[in-house]
Amino acid sequence: MCNPATEMLVSACIGFLRAFSPFDRMDDGALRFLAESVRLVHYPQNAQILTGEMGVARTLYILHRGKVRVGSGSAAGYVSRASHTLIPGQCFSIEALMAQRPSFDTYLARDEVFCFELPADAFLALTEKSTVFNLFCTQHIAGLLSQSQQQLQQQVVQRAGEQKTMNSPLSTVVRREPVSVLPETPIRQVVELMADRHIGSMAVVDSERRPVGIFTLSDVLKRIVLPGVSLEQPIAVVMSPTPRTLPLAANAHDAALAMALHGIRHVLAVDEGGGLRGVVSEGDLFKLQGAGLRQIRHAIDAASSAEALLHAREDVRQLALTMLGEGVGAQEITQFISTLNDAVARRVLDLNLERHDLYGIDWAWLSFGSEGRDEQTFTTDQDNGIVYICTDIMDREQTQLRFLEFARDVNEDLDKCGFPLCKGNIMASNPDLCLTLEEWEERFAQWVRMPEPQALLNATIFFDFRPLYGRFNLAHRMRLALLRQTQSSPLFLRMLAQNALSVAPPLGRIRDFVTDADPEHPGTIDLKKYGVRLFTDAARVFALARQVEATNTVSRLKRGGALLNMSGEEISASVDAFNFIQFLRLRHQHFEQEQGRAGDNLIRPDELNEVERRILIESFRQARKLQARLRLDYQL
Amino acid sequence: MSTWFSKLFSGQDAPDPRLNADQQRLLADWSRLPPPDLGRSHRQSRYVVVDVELGGLDTRTESLLAIGALAVTDGLIDFNDAFRATLATDGPPPTEAEAGSDRPSAAMAPADALIALLRFAGKAPLVVYHAVFVAKRLERALSEHLRLDLPQPWLDLAWVMSDLFREVSEMDGRLDPWLDHFAIESIRRHDALSDAYDTARLLQIAIAKAARKGFDTPASLLELEKARRHMHQDG
Repeated sequence: MCNPATEMLVSACIGFLRAFSPFDRMDDGALRFLAESVRLVHYPQNAQILTGEMGVARTLYILHRGKVRVGSGSAAGYVSRASHTLIPGQCFSIEALMAQRPSFDTYLARDEVFCFELPADAFLALTEKSTVFNLFCTQHIAGLLSQSQQQLQQQVVQRAGEQKTMNSPLSTVVRREPVSVLPETPIRQVVELMADRHIGSMAVVDSERRPVGIFTLSDVLKRIVLPGVSLEQPIAVVMSPTPRTLPLAANAHDAALAMALHGIRHVLAVDEGGGLRGVVSEGDLFKLQGAGLRQIRHAIDAASSAEALLHAREDVRQLALTMLGEGVGAQEITQFISTLNDAVARRVLDLNLERHDLYGIDWAWLSFGSEGRDEQTFTTDQDNGIVYICTDIMDREQTQLRFLEFARDVNEDLDKCGFPLCKGNIMASNPDLCLTLEEWEERFAQWVRMPEPQALLNATIFFDFRPLYGRFNLAHRMRLALLRQTQSSPLFLRMLAQNALSVAPPLGRIRDFVTDADPEHPGTIDLKKYGVRLFTDAARVFALARQVEATNTVSRLKRGGALLNMSGEEISASVDAFNFIQFLRLRHQHFEQEQGRAGDNLIRPDELNEVERRILIESFRQARKLQARLRLDYQL
Repeated sequence: MSTWFSKLFSGQDAPDPRLNADQQRLLADWSRLPPPDLGRSHRQSRYVVVDVELGGLDTRTESLLAIGALAVTDGLIDFNDAFRATLATDGPPPTEAEAGSDRPSAAMAPADALIALLRFAGKAPLVVYHAVFVAKRLERALSEHLRLDLPQPWLDLAWVMSDLFREVSEMDGRLDPWLDHFAIESIRRHDALSDAYDTARLLQIAIAKAARKGFDTPASLLELEKARRHMHQDG
């Protein structure tokens, strides 16, 4: 500090700031930079300090003296929020400043107000200088995001009336006190009790009320009447042992998924001590039109041809749409679609294995891209490959031919079931994607060693692989080899990070959104290219840099983010943002398909309501945060 | 028409032979600065708030110890646009221990300090609280050490505030009641720069209020001050 006069005033300013969060936690250098960069501005009583009409926000305001009243803006459709008052030490308007847009709120001086004002460029410099301040801003946005999402959820709930959604915890789904019996109870007594109470299932518990089995009406015929079991026998003889349980806090969706995964019709809800609290039946969950989960699952498993599977796939789509309409979250829906699509694909593979002899060879069917990440939406094409072990190099060509024939049939059948052939030929029937374990490892190693543009593009598709069928341990070996490679290749990670930065969030400087990226579709945003991809690309870099085996973007963000010391709030904010964009995509595809069009990913921000626009802006902001993180980590 | 305006066009007196070449050059640079347009709005003008610290027992012998100044530019206070100088008194020169200590600033020769102040202030209107006290002392020092008559106007905030805020009663003309009234906290009351900072914030309040009453330029604020002073003195 050269000027002692400035020094005195800056010290006084620092003294003031230190009394408030987050400034009290900022280090001396950052705080000094802040105090040296602010200017003190006065506003007389009733003066407008900041309004939406003033255009894009250019200043961070730190209230020094006086009171400021915050009122919501006047934009049509804006969700009204009770006005509130800011007191000295509080900041505004961080979200407008970070999103580089006008403020949605109006800030009015209630008395003689003095503000320390920080220009936008110094604000950005400060977010880079101080992780504490950066975190403060992120959490502020994250708080706003969850606040907005709560509003959105409230709207959805209001629209659905009092109807419970798939997000309801099991504690609200099971209201009745469950009827249960001990294992030694005679069968006769159990069946009489069931008939008496008109219940379709009976939980069997031990002396501490922990579930040990379940017995249902449909078991009566198969297990008692037909085999001629004595009704004096204990129920333990005929019950299904080790029933599936879920904690009471799990939601209806979890129960539905467990039923679909295991092909069962009942799940038992238990408390923290493992004691039975209720029986959840499929009927409880799906009083929906059309097919229920288990019927679909059953239809898939029983299908004897690709044509039969097409119906099942159509049911999957219908059920997913119903779930969407019920307000089930995007993460649950994409996972649900992936799970059932997996079942369809596995059945197709099963059917084809009957015609192709691959006996004695270790192999696995791999999924790539969005399928590999468990993030399928309503429109999805095939992205798959094969890995196999060839013990004798002389047999290699012959073996590959057998796999290619098999793969061709599978690809065609999948096409018949509603998974269109991949235009880019990313399919197992492509000889380049039907490789031995060593060849895959060599290919991965080559892309990592020489990260040229095509290799980076490949990385974004193939490094998100997941085994679907066969020997899963082959995929695991591929993963370990890949993570070994990426961990020791800072150059590759840096290039991959750079690649992830090649698309910026479509946030405008003047308008909220950039909607002219695609000249053929003005006024739209491609939510796949300019939305989802920003998150999946960043999450992939996190995962490959930090040895995270998961391919799912949410899992990668959660695990990779934690390893990168991102805060819990920061991580959940980016997960929320990603899920919101997926939700908009799903809803848009749903709408497009209802109109009989092929679902694209082009949404028109103008057609969103104000809350959605606001959340979308903040979601893109979160993408920008992830990109900033990459820039910082890789000095880009 | 005040004297500063005519002097502006007639030029300064001949340079003081006691000044060295550097001092003369700096002073000449300053005197060549064009005067500001006082007809622009407060939001496009630069004011410089000045305060001093005095030492000594009676008003005739007391000496200028320190000068503090702070600019209010376009209505804003920027901490980087601040000035403070400690003046060497006629006493013994500072000992080595004092000179090497981390005191805020080493004492300057009065002529150097005054030239530095002029270079900081430029030709901006100078704002004080109680002109009789501060302005007289500074004018005397400028005349004594630089043989200079200030060309720019003084704006006495004491008159301006009492005119703009007539509804605020119980003001006895001192600075402290105003600071209390507007809840302005001092860093170190009676330090020249700290007092200038307090006065600068009062000036911010004053120009906002004045603008609402139609006095939206430095020129109009100077008129307001003059009218108030005359009215008071006549009454």
